[in-house]
Order: sequence, then C-alpha cells, then structure tokens
Amino acid sequence: MKEQWRLLETGYSTAFANMAIDRAVLVSNSRGKVPPTIRFYRWQPSAISIGYFQSLEEEVDLDICKNFGVNYVRRITGGGAVYHDKELTYSIVISESHPKIPKNIMESYRIICGAIVKGLKNLGIESTYIPINDIITNGKKISGNAQTRKAKTVLQHGTILIDVNVEEMFFLLRVPTEKIKDKLIADVKERVTSIKHVLEKEISFEEISNAIKSGFEQEFNIELVKGTLTKEEVELTKKFEDECFSTKDWNHRR
Amino acid sequence: MRSRSIYKVPKGKLLKISLNYDEKSNSIEKISIYGDFFAYPEESIDFLENELKGTLLEKKIIFEKIDSIIKKRNIEFIGVNVEGLTKGILMCKK
Repeated sequence: MKEQWRLLETGYSTAFANMAIDRAVLVSNSRGKVPPTIRFYRWQPSAISIGYFQSLEEEVDLDICKNFGVNYVRRITGGGAVYHDKELTYSIVISESHPKIPKNIMESYRIICGAIVKGLKNLGIESTYIPINDIITNGKKISGNAQTRKAKTVLQHGTILIDVNVEEMFFLLRVPTEKIKDKLIADVKERVTSIKHVLEKEISFEEISNAIKSGFEQEFNIELVKGTLTKEEVELTKKFEDECFSTKDWNHRR
Repeated sequence: MRSRSIYKVPKGKLLKISLNYDEKSNSIEKISIYGDFFAYPEESIDFLENELKGTLLEKKIIFEKIDSIIKKRNIEFIGVNVEGLTKGILMCKK
C-alpha cells in the first residue's frame, strides 16, 4: 500500500490567514502531530506577498493597494514579490528527515517542482523546472516557488498562474520609474504566462487542482487523502494571524 | 554618509543594500540587506547585519568577515553569495 499524505483544500482565505495556515501546518508537522501535507489555496481579496528579505515599501505601492482593497503580507520564505490573483497556490510541509525529501535544499526544490511539472503535464502543458525557483513553459514563467526550513521541517509554497493581468500586476507592484514602466510591462508580458494562455481556453479550478494533486502523487509515489486542519492547527493559525502576519511589526519590519 | 546599491548577483538574485557609513573611519555604521534571494536560516541575515557594524569598508576585510560568519553559523545562501554581498556593500561607497 502506498504511503498516505494529507491533502488540504482550504479554498479562499485572506493573505494573513493563508500565510498563518502554512506556518501552523509546519509547526504541527514538526511536532509529529500530522503527516506530510499538501495544501491548495486561493486568495480573497487578491494580495501581494513579499519575500522575507524584501523591503515592503520598496516593492509595494501601499496607497494603491489600500485604494483597490488589495492585501499585502510578508512571507516566512525568501524570494520575490508576487501578486496573487487568478492562481492556484500550493504548499507542501514535510519533515527534513523524511526519506522522500532530499536533505539538499536545491535538490528538494527540484523534486517538489517536479510534482508541479507532472501536474501541468496532466493538463497537457509541457514545462521545465529552472533553478533557482521557477517553472517555465515555452520560455515563459508559469510558476514561482519558495522554500524555508524551520524546526527540521520543510515548507515550500508556490503559485501556478491560472490567468494573469500584467498591467494590473504592475499597477500594484513598485517599478523604478514611469519611463521604463511600459518597457517593463512589455518585458514581463514576454516572460510570464498562465494555464489559460497556454491552453487557449479556461479550465475549472477543480480540474487544475486534480491535475496538480495527481502530479504530487506521481512524483512522490504516495496517495493523497483529503483531510482538514486539526484543532491545534486552527488555534495556531489564529495565533500566527493575529500575532504575526496581520501586524505592522511583521509586514513593515524591512 | 548614507548610500544604496542594487546589484544583480551573477546567476543569482537581485541584492539591495542600504548602508550608513562613517567616511572618516571608512567603516560601516548600519547596514540593511534586502532582496529576493534565499538564506537558511532566514534570521541569519539579521545577525549578519548586526555583526557587520563597525567593519572597515575594504574588500578583503568584508569578504572574510562574512565568510567566517556563514561558516561559523552554518548559513546557506541561495541566489546570493559572499562575493555578491561584498560587491553590493562596496558599491555603496561613493
């Protein structure tokens, strides 16, 4: 019988709750309370997440975010700023000592991104993992990924773009000057793509999440079993949301 | 003196340094390291910023200081390295 891991489908949450849930699952798994976990989630309202080492005000136009009701949050993972709109976001939490996950960080990126590549293939999209943390199709980025390791536990989360509006993205993210804005948008349009653009049709979120779920099952040779957050995880989520991710202290710390 | 630099690490990420330094003693007063790179554990960047206070703004000295800290504390960088950090810091010097 195949090893069983937990699948969480938490639907839409705020940016603060989304980051709090990932961290809660990490803590819970590090305490040995829950099995390796794959989570799929979405963002309501749309939000920008920035990497742990980024300067909030340098990356994000806070006034525009407020005016348009877009949330912003600092991640516990490194990497760059992401506008989360029409996408499937995944996370994986697994012990560093689990035999199915490489100790080496770059190798573990490759394996986890391999699950996403297989998932996209299930949708008929050929893609490749390009180190450090991108997945590209026809030379354009379709997925960005970021990993941290805390308490001997791996957390990697990433985006899979379902549709993308580059103008909107650049309206919200800070770019150096107005002058190069047009050029930058043109550049990024050349570099970023989405499931909808590649397949030239809309497919449902459920179809996409099923394909990615199978990708993880194929890559890790496991079976994903639908589950829910434990009581402890729900409590930890609330704590991390209130004490960390929704606070000015955390989000403005750099 | 307050200065900033933006440096794309070869084959790596975008490193942004904000530096306050004393021109007379040619040393770091305060440094902030930003960017879309990865460092494990993440808190090591805060530690590094602290440890770099008072360091002379000379290539060899900065390089060796960062190098000894990452070795001592088992820090792993991805998308940035000791050369890149040293270069980014020295680019702030007017």
